[in-house]
Amino acid sequence: MAFLLNCPDCGQRNVYDFRFGGEVLTRPQPDVSKEDLTSYLFFRENADGPQREWWNHSMGCRKWFIAVRNTHTNEVIETSWPPEIESNDDGQSDGE
Amino acid sequence: MGSLMANNGTGERLPRSKHELIDRDSVIDFEFEGRQISAYKGDTVGSAVTAVGIDILSRSFKYHRPRGMLCAAGNCPNCLMTVDGIPNVRSCTMQVQPGMKVKRQNAWPSVDHDYGSLLDRMDRLLPVGFYYKAFHKPKFLWDLIRPIVRRIAGLGRIDILNDGGPGYSHRNMQADVAVIGGGLAGMVAAIEAADAGLDVVLIDDQQVLGGHLLSDTTRYSGIDGLGDGTGQEIAESLRERVQVQKGIQVLSGASAFGYYQDNLVAIRQGFESMQLRAGRVVMATGAFEVPFQFENNDRPGVMLASGVLRMARLFGVLPGKRAVIVTDNAAGYSSALNLFDAGIEIEALLDLRSGVDTSDVGDAVRKAGIEVLAGYRVVSASGTKRVSRVKVIAPDSSIRVLKCDLICMAGVPQPANGLLLQQPGVSVEFDEQLRESVPTQLPDNVFTAGDINGYHELGIVFGQGVAAGRQVAGVSDDDSSQLRALESEYRSGLRLPGDSVSGGNAKKEFVCLCEDVSTKDIGVAIREGFGDIQTLKRYTTSTMGPCQGKMCHKAFVEATAIHMGGSISATGATTARPPAQGVPLGALAGPGHMPLKRTPLDENHRSAGAEMVELGPWLRAHNYGSPQDEALTVRERVGIIDVSTLGKLDVRGADAGKLLDKVYTHRFSNLREGRIRYGLLCGENGAIMDDGTVTRLSEDHYFVSTTTGNVDAIEDWFNWWLAGTGMDVFVTNVTSSYGAINVAGPRAREALSKLTDVDLSSDVFGYMRSVSGSVAGVPCIFLRIGFVGEVGWELHFPSEYAQHLWKALMEAGAEYGIGPFGLEAQRILRLEKGHIIVSQDTDAVTDPLDAGMRWAVRFDKPDFIGRAGLAANRERGSESKLVGFVMRGDLVPEDGQPIVENGGPIGRVTSSRLSPTLKKGFGLGWVPEKLAEEGAEILIRIGDKDWPAIVATEPIYDPEGERLRS
Repeated sequence: MAFLLNCPDCGQRNVYDFRFGGEVLTRPQPDVSKEDLTSYLFFRENADGPQREWWNHSMGCRKWFIAVRNTHTNEVIETSWPPEIESNDDGQSDGE
Repeated sequence: MGSLMANNGTGERLPRSKHELIDRDSVIDFEFEGRQISAYKGDTVGSAVTAVGIDILSRSFKYHRPRGMLCAAGNCPNCLMTVDGIPNVRSCTMQVQPGMKVKRQNAWPSVDHDYGSLLDRMDRLLPVGFYYKAFHKPKFLWDLIRPIVRRIAGLGRIDILNDGGPGYSHRNMQADVAVIGGGLAGMVAAIEAADAGLDVVLIDDQQVLGGHLLSDTTRYSGIDGLGDGTGQEIAESLRERVQVQKGIQVLSGASAFGYYQDNLVAIRQGFESMQLRAGRVVMATGAFEVPFQFENNDRPGVMLASGVLRMARLFGVLPGKRAVIVTDNAAGYSSALNLFDAGIEIEALLDLRSGVDTSDVGDAVRKAGIEVLAGYRVVSASGTKRVSRVKVIAPDSSIRVLKCDLICMAGVPQPANGLLLQQPGVSVEFDEQLRESVPTQLPDNVFTAGDINGYHELGIVFGQGVAAGRQVAGVSDDDSSQLRALESEYRSGLRLPGDSVSGGNAKKEFVCLCEDVSTKDIGVAIREGFGDIQTLKRYTTSTMGPCQGKMCHKAFVEATAIHMGGSISATGATTARPPAQGVPLGALAGPGHMPLKRTPLDENHRSAGAEMVELGPWLRAHNYGSPQDEALTVRERVGIIDVSTLGKLDVRGADAGKLLDKVYTHRFSNLREGRIRYGLLCGENGAIMDDGTVTRLSEDHYFVSTTTGNVDAIEDWFNWWLAGTGMDVFVTNVTSSYGAINVAGPRAREALSKLTDVDLSSDVFGYMRSVSGSVAGVPCIFLRIGFVGEVGWELHFPSEYAQHLWKALMEAGAEYGIGPFGLEAQRILRLEKGHIIVSQDTDAVTDPLDAGMRWAVRFDKPDFIGRAGLAANRERGSESKLVGFVMRGDLVPEDGQPIVENGGPIGRVTSSRLSPTLKKGFGLGWVPEKLAEEGAEILIRIGDKDWPAIVATEPIYDPEGERLRS
């Protein structure tokens, strides 16, 4: 694995400068059913192809951003800041 | 050989020539298996030993057959030797250094007389894949045989006492363009690209730029843009142009062994390995000759024609006197003329193709009086330790035996594409006309030029180099149509043999020299069912040795095609993977860069005689002599400990409280200014991730501590939950900016009061409160907390003042008997208070409920990270609980020892120490819920005996916290 990743802040850098944060998930509500909680905690799409995922520029600006990466070829299709997400006063929703 | 030894001991040499690489005025000595050998400066180990008449350079992997110089270019496995304790060094490219110690490998008692060669006659016992077949029944046999096999087979021995010599290093590099290969195409591509203003790195595995031209004495003329002259002269003038060209960095003697996605090139040069990220790459790795298939095609004296020429032209060494040339293309005729010119007698030139070669070189060969045997094939070579005869067969099936001490193989060069093929997006296909696999698809920013494309004519190689250089620079190329014309002219003029000119079914006809695989072995393996080239490769291990398929891939595919009855293109190819060239593990590992952080008080600890210990990335004081005494100092008087390694996060902004409420199980938005609260951080599954304290310094400003070594992860965690929320919070990691010292003990208040105006009396400055003030003139945040269970203040301050503050505290506390305490004493003290250490007393699934910390979880908050997971866990109930215990007897268990019932484990000790207060062993451990009651008896296994202990659900020291709050 040696591809380049485009940090929205710093530009194109070696992927070793980044920390992978996994697939972008939708965080469930606190009263989630056990099945859905289990699914959120342990199950992943594991797409063979383009996947939306979190990355952190840990050896650079240390910011989190989202990349769409083809998991088959490691081609990075686009990177962007996470979309503004609705955050109610209880902080109940996250991810996207 | 050796009869005309020059009197300086460097062996028999040709007359001096202008372009040789050796310096005849400088003789150096090295040690070869206890014998002193003289060489010229610039000689390789291989050229030096060949010059003094040493024919056998190694013994083969499996059959211990003698092997001699073959490629002389660092591609084949034949000359691997141990140099200065480093095994498997290619002696043909390793330059001689004075005093160097060289040994040959894989033989006993010596390479010249190796008993292992008996195996060559016992090949029936060692069929292909014998690991899977032989010596398995009866069962004990394999255990007997295996160590013997391991000892006999293989290559050099690693010297486990050698720590890597001068040490390996790593370097990261960047360039606009990487040109790989320093031959004609590579040099001109580099010049063109650099001339257009690009920053170029030119990587070449030989000591001197020039590639094949270095040993080419053919005279060339009439190539536009390239002056007339011999190959050697052209190489020299280009080398000079590279040297003066601005913008080219040359890496000579450097092998590019890995080529990863987005043009990351891994390179080794001596003891340094480099990772070069290039914007664009020009692959000009060239092509090399490979052996033909005939019986005993591995005998010393059977060489590649290019290898013989390299020895002659670069080092003035003739590896033989009388040669038979074997070729299947017109270039073989040029080689014959070159060899003839170098002073080698040519017994005959054997052309595997039928018909007369009517090219200019064909005529020149005949004019030179060299006998051409067209349409002949080689049957076998003979001679025990070196070739003495070769048996050939005419088109009419008559047999002839030719006398020679050298067989020069000049086959169609094979493109060196082992590196190129590692790049995702590259594909090559077998070109029926060129009889080679050539690139058909390249990713953007990857270009190829020269012999790697299958064209082996100077003008085309030059033209492709220029074109590639212009392409990478984005310069328009007016000469491209001219180049296309040259290429198609070259194609139409080719006269090459079709499939299966070589490759029979003989036992001693080697496809793979590295692994001793013969054409017969390939046939056997195919009959056993390994009909796919990928599985055949793994079963026979063909192409998997040190040469990584360079010498054998062509023969392997051809032999497979013959046995399968298919075409070469239908047979396919094996997959190229890094490394393209062997790399010592040391070069990959690099230097032992274990970054270590030192606290600002590191010197103080050392001068106080502290024993230091690594904790995460930090070096901490473990103890200053006696942890028990240090603990008593804290319990009875006052102690100070350096806690600068604590993670420290400065969290500010209008929404800071909201963020902390979200990530911690506790609530912090309602924390009053100047107050401190314990914080427990859980993952979404409810398991404990980290703990620490959260202090509210002002309305929108919190100061958070995390466990040592975990702060980067926690910082990321906070920022992750902030990402995209638009919350007004800034998280700043101030771990290294602040030093921290904890002053604790019954006399702490008195000692600290001497240095500060802050009122420390308990009614003013209560437990879990914080103020800012100065101590000994140093601005500090005072946190009144009590990890060790005594009255105490954790002081956080700009780390520059740490030593001053430490000294001031030691002086002020002297009258109260102050002393420093280390990590171990702190662990004992906190254990007496039942305070957990995350990841010591907890594991990846421990939740706060199991750990007895229900009080730290606010289920009345509608949501926080881990709430849903914890709620599910609460519903399910706990299987085991973390409890304290005190031993009945005098023994002190060790961390991790099992808690048992009826002889089986039911839990484990997580922390255990001798209590300075109770003078007994005690600790924390996991027990089943039914035993998690005050006074329950448990058994702890120490050694092979079980020892009783009593469960204590309350801390054994100051359970009510009176001392802490006093």
